[in-house]
Amino acid sequence: MDLTQARSLFIEEALGLLEVMEACLLEIEAGDATAGQHIDAIFRAAHTIKGSAGLFGFDAIVAFTHIVESVLDKVRDQKISLDHDLCDLCLLCQDHLMTMIRQLQDDSIQLDLHAGEQLLARLHLYLDGKPALAMPEAETAAMSEHWQFDVRYGADVFRDGMDPMSQLSYLATLGTLTDVHLSAEFPAEHFDPESCYLRLHANLASEASKQTLEDVFEFVRDSSEIHITVPKSISEQLAQQDISDEKLGTLLVQAGAVTPRELQQALQAHKQQEIAIGQALVQQGAVPPELISTALDKQKATEHKRPADFQFLKVEARKLDGLINLIGELVTSGAEMDSLLSELGNSKITESFSVLNSLLEQIRDGALSLRMVQIGESFSRLRRIVRDVSKELGKEIDLIVEGADTELDKSMVEKLSDPLMHIVRNALDHGIEPTELRLYKGKPAQGQLKLSARHEAGSVVIEISDDGAGLNVQKIRDKAIEKGILAPDRDLSEADTYKLIFEPGFSTAAAVTNLSGRGVGMDVVRRNIEELRGQIQIRSAIEKGTTFSIRLPLTLAIIDGFLVSVADTKLVLPLNMVQECMEFKPGLQTQGRNYLDLRGEVLPFIRLSDIFRLPGRRLQRENVVIVQYGSDRAGLVVDALHGELQAVIKPLNSMFQSLRGIGGSTILGSGDIGLILDIPQLVQFATNLEMQTCHP
Amino acid sequence: MSSITPSAGAEFFNKAELTHQHYLTFILRDEYFGISISAVKEIIEYDNVTAIPLMPDFVKGVLNLRGEVVPVIDLSIRFNKPATEIQRRTCIIILEIPFEEQLVTLGAVVDSVCEVLEIQPESIESAPTFGARIRAQFILGVANVGERFVILLRGERVLSLDEMATLIEKVME
Repeated sequence: MDLTQARSLFIEEALGLLEVMEACLLEIEAGDATAGQHIDAIFRAAHTIKGSAGLFGFDAIVAFTHIVESVLDKVRDQKISLDHDLCDLCLLCQDHLMTMIRQLQDDSIQLDLHAGEQLLARLHLYLDGKPALAMPEAETAAMSEHWQFDVRYGADVFRDGMDPMSQLSYLATLGTLTDVHLSAEFPAEHFDPESCYLRLHANLASEASKQTLEDVFEFVRDSSEIHITVPKSISEQLAQQDISDEKLGTLLVQAGAVTPRELQQALQAHKQQEIAIGQALVQQGAVPPELISTALDKQKATEHKRPADFQFLKVEARKLDGLINLIGELVTSGAEMDSLLSELGNSKITESFSVLNSLLEQIRDGALSLRMVQIGESFSRLRRIVRDVSKELGKEIDLIVEGADTELDKSMVEKLSDPLMHIVRNALDHGIEPTELRLYKGKPAQGQLKLSARHEAGSVVIEISDDGAGLNVQKIRDKAIEKGILAPDRDLSEADTYKLIFEPGFSTAAAVTNLSGRGVGMDVVRRNIEELRGQIQIRSAIEKGTTFSIRLPLTLAIIDGFLVSVADTKLVLPLNMVQECMEFKPGLQTQGRNYLDLRGEVLPFIRLSDIFRLPGRRLQRENVVIVQYGSDRAGLVVDALHGELQAVIKPLNSMFQSLRGIGGSTILGSGDIGLILDIPQLVQFATNLEMQTCHP
Repeated sequence: MSSITPSAGAEFFNKAELTHQHYLTFILRDEYFGISISAVKEIIEYDNVTAIPLMPDFVKGVLNLRGEVVPVIDLSIRFNKPATEIQRRTCIIILEIPFEEQLVTLGAVVDSVCEVLEIQPESIESAPTFGARIRAQFILGVANVGERFVILLRGERVLSLDEMATLIEKVME
């Protein structure tokens, strides 16, 4: 067996489980879920990691996880409660485990052994130090093969004419009675010979239902405390039973573990105190906590059977990439076929091919969608960062997440996580003011950070906005001049000034904090996003806040393109950016400037042959393609229009990374290479060129 | 360490580095060059090279090699000589150059390809510190093969992606 592969599977699985654990803990901590709802998932995560780590002999992980698991087990048994402190501790443990597991993958990661020991010491406090919570049944709750009775007779039992002995003898008729203990709890003072001070413990092996057994004590029920514990066999039966979608309570009653009356009481407690039914039943002592968790698991399992639930299949990313590459080849050879067929002019073959082609398009879209993942995963990682950072800074942050189900390419999600983290940290550190300052400014004490994602015209837009102080244009300018990033006499628009914060070595925070202010980070943000063929924009208003808006292409593999040519060079424009095409008549040009009059609107244009310094003759007839990206429009002057095509993006060699305006290449049907234009970059490049020529 | 002779450009000529090897020889501007056959993937005719805008002269463009987009470099310009004139015998040698733990495919334009020679390490001399009129760090050594000198090249130096990327960046600015 290939151990390396199994090992990497383990690492991947463990990291996934830790993420689940983190998400659950964060929800509990935020009060979005109760400990009862998630503790099983958290426990299971720890348990699975321990188990698999044991298989590989990662003893350090096993030892650490074991302690974590023991504490979680106590929480599960409700012996300790998962309060804020413990949540915090669990999150720290989760971090530590994450580092331990990452270290298996990457030797360069340093593990803080001291921190690990400290965590263990804190965990041990929970294991040994604290006494169990008030749960009188805790010790008797141990599962046995018998029904267990614990009856504390009320003082008036004798006065009401009841006889505990007759109940006991009746019980004996229902099954075999063992371990009968009758104890008396006499008060120190005011002993009343007519009162009953008896307490009965008994075990009964019986086939009777709980209802029958409870009926034995029917007449003393009102005056006495009666606890009947369910035998193990029933809870096992419960686990085996095939029950469709059922409520927890009904499930328990059906199995004979709870009587309808107990359920009624629990339901009342549920309404009055807003505690979970399971918990209420446990508090009443009607059922042991283990039984409830069995039933809860069962309930969860039945929920999972619903067809609406998604089923996932784990596929190796390499296989998927291989498939997409193949489909890329298929698309390319389809394009070649298409151009051959149009030369042939046989209408039957052409028609049959067009059917094939449309199927091909569907396969292409299907294959590409396989790589799509929801962005929510990235966002939940940010949730943790927001929590940690706001704690560190002592700021209260309200995090709003929108559009977590927006899908984008998996490889993009990976490359996005760093930039998003940097932006969020910066927003928390520099954007949102300290609480006192916010109150002084008349803003709510709690700062607001909003993460949102949405699809917009063939691209994904991710926005991170805060309601902080906003960017100060003058301050940024001064700082940039001071740092030598900006020449003092340069005029910049507001938007361009904001962009200065992405320059390497730029930082406006007066003090360098642990989180940000070192001037590394924001330049990484821009670089990563440009690598993804995306753009980042900043909108800001003083005292209102700042919004970072990241626009990314939907996919990195295949796009619908529009083929044009300039001289002998074939260029491909992303089709979703193309708005219209028209003939470029010299009359359209306004007085030698690069403006077009588009139905009364001023439209700047770029002559591609000029900007790319392409040689060759200028044709008699030129065309202009009007492109829209985000909120901007521009015209691109080209020689000839060739129409739509599917372009499989072939990234250019890394030595061309400084090339502006061209995002990649594609192989055309003719076998020639077409260059894919990166329009926003192209416009930026044209703007910079013009700036250089206008500011000598 | 006795066999190490220092040569210009802080590069060392290390005999141990030269194992028994085959070299592909080619002509560039009437001079004979050789490159280790292990780096050569194939040799194709000069055809259908798509120019990339704004590139410095040494970048001839890109080429469609069975679906792969391969950059084509003019070696003559890398050696500070005039551009290669495209003629009937002009070829592109497709090479695999190690870069960041990966093999990157590149094409090199040469005037014509000759033969594959088996050159014994003993017959390879360190490059003269001057006189070759090529940057010393490009040269692995010089072999004397049947009355003529063959300059053996270090492919990963001549076609250093890092260096070429920097050159392109300079042009873009």
